[in-house]
Amino acid sequence: MSTRDLVLVALFAAIIVALGLIPPVSLGFIPVPVHAQSLGVMLAGVVLGAKRGTLTVALFMLLAAIGLPVLSGGRGGLGVFMAPPSGYLYGYLAAAFVTGYMSERFVNARQTGLVQGTYFFVAALAGGVFLCHLLGVLWLAFVTGLGLPAAFMGTLAFVPGDALKALIAAFAGRAVMVGYPLLPQRA
Amino acid sequence: MDIHFEEASVRYDGRTALEPLTVHLSERRIGVIGLNGSGKTTFARLINGLVKPSSGRVSVNGFDTVKDAEAVRSEAGFIFQNPQNQIILPILKEDIALGLKRRKLSAAQIDAAVNGVLARFGIPHLAERRTHELSGGELQLSAFASVLVTEPKILILDEPTNQLDLKNRNLVERTMAGMDENLIVISHDLALVEGFDRVLLFSGGRLIGDGEPSQVIAQYRTLAGA
Amino acid sequence: MNTLYLDGQSLLHRLPTRAKLGGLALFSLLLFAVSHPVVLGFAALAAAIAYSSTGIGWREGVARLRPAFITIFAVTLFALLFQPPVEALTILFRLTALMLAAAAITATTSIGAFIDTITWAAKPFERIGLVRAADIGLSVGLVIRFVPEVTLRYRSIRDAHQARGLKVRPVTLIVPLLIQTLKNADEIAAAIDARGIR
Repeated sequence: MSTRDLVLVALFAAIIVALGLIPPVSLGFIPVPVHAQSLGVMLAGVVLGAKRGTLTVALFMLLAAIGLPVLSGGRGGLGVFMAPPSGYLYGYLAAAFVTGYMSERFVNARQTGLVQGTYFFVAALAGGVFLCHLLGVLWLAFVTGLGLPAAFMGTLAFVPGDALKALIAAFAGRAVMVGYPLLPQRA
Repeated sequence: MDIHFEEASVRYDGRTALEPLTVHLSERRIGVIGLNGSGKTTFARLINGLVKPSSGRVSVNGFDTVKDAEAVRSEAGFIFQNPQNQIILPILKEDIALGLKRRKLSAAQIDAAVNGVLARFGIPHLAERRTHELSGGELQLSAFASVLVTEPKILILDEPTNQLDLKNRNLVERTMAGMDENLIVISHDLALVEGFDRVLLFSGGRLIGDGEPSQVIAQYRTLAGA
Repeated sequence: MNTLYLDGQSLLHRLPTRAKLGGLALFSLLLFAVSHPVVLGFAALAAAIAYSSTGIGWREGVARLRPAFITIFAVTLFALLFQPPVEALTILFRLTALMLAAAAITATTSIGAFIDTITWAAKPFERIGLVRAADIGLSVGLVIRFVPEVTLRYRSIRDAHQARGLKVRPVTLIVPLLIQTLKNADEIAAAIDARGIR
């Protein structure tokens, strides 16, 4: 890995941490407060691609594990990996990979802005929303023994907010691609 | 100091940043001036091996900047325009020690070197400080310390006074005046290079002026239409 | 950034990091292997004793775990609705024991000790060319160094919006934040290379 990639990964991890420090916002039409940290994960995927995006999230999780309060709300420590909502945290890792992989695969510089934005949105939706929630629900059901239907109901309230974040990530991913392209293009 | 450029040129995706250049540098203090985008930063980065020549070669004290990159970097230190981006770790002392990491020194030797370089720049009180809280002048001195801890013989400075207030600019000038290392200083601050041994003037990726500071600075003033 | 490490000299402070992490892994496996509420109750009690032995104090100790306990209680209440009370009690004790044990290790292991252990654990992977072990500590340092700067940049972009009378929107906030940060990356990488750190 080049020094530049190492620095990109570290700086993006810093962005994810910083997004967790911003107080969560309540959007009128969604019943739960939305925090920006999972947006950072989707951004890592759409901007950095699969490998560097996944490493970014891994580094972020490592920081949490060694006792830095980097998760939204100032949480951190080993406990965050064993709590009922930890599945979402593991989901971040999968989300960055899938979002990054799909972005690299489907988006290229020759497409129109609308096409690029749509693909980024689909990638962020698949990784950052669908996969993240899937892992979150499975973990919740397994760790707590709540059973899948109950766990599923508990997560539903967060889906609209996350879909909105996928939209923001798509816009931002497209803008960064124009202003500062970093995605390796696959032939 | 013994730096040779032999027909060294740099091209970035079709754009020429530096035309083939042959020059020999041996003076102790060399100023590099020119308008924005004239090729002076590319020139400076070639010396430290941060930029590799697209053709030709550059050598520093006998080491090739491509083949012996590691040796070149221990000969020539580089201070960046924005010290904010140069300090890497959260605590100043740790950051300075980082440059020594690959030298297989004992903890006591590292400590001694770090304290020595902090004392040299008059900033021992900053050792335990968080680097993001340092002021502009403190940051610039810290950048000097972090680079000079490895004792390079040549120091390349890219716009060292660019973002400093007058007080800190003078502090940097005094600090440079008190240094024994060979200096290569890129600057828009013409007063800074006035007393140097030699000044190079770049324009459009070409070296167009080379010689006594007063004469080259006058040439630059004419070029810039000022 | 403050860490969750707590200075001290307790038994847990003095144990080697590898032993603590191994112990925690084993403890959590056992907690899922057992499903008897009384046994799990005792496990939770033991974890609570370990947590308090770190010298954390009542106020700080509770404050740190508040968010975790809120989710544990929510899950327990949910379980009470759908499952027999014994199951709910099992869930409550198991999750509480996990949370307390993890918090005890976190409070007694410094960032430096963690990084040393991780670097040690990465050595075999270095041998097969997968990672450079020293990069791990360097990346952790870089993040800690740059979080305050990213936050500061976020604030100044927000202020710039307000100064120009623009409405602060997520996209116009995030895009300049990303691009400025990425431009920095090139300079920082050059500085690392120039200083011969890697």
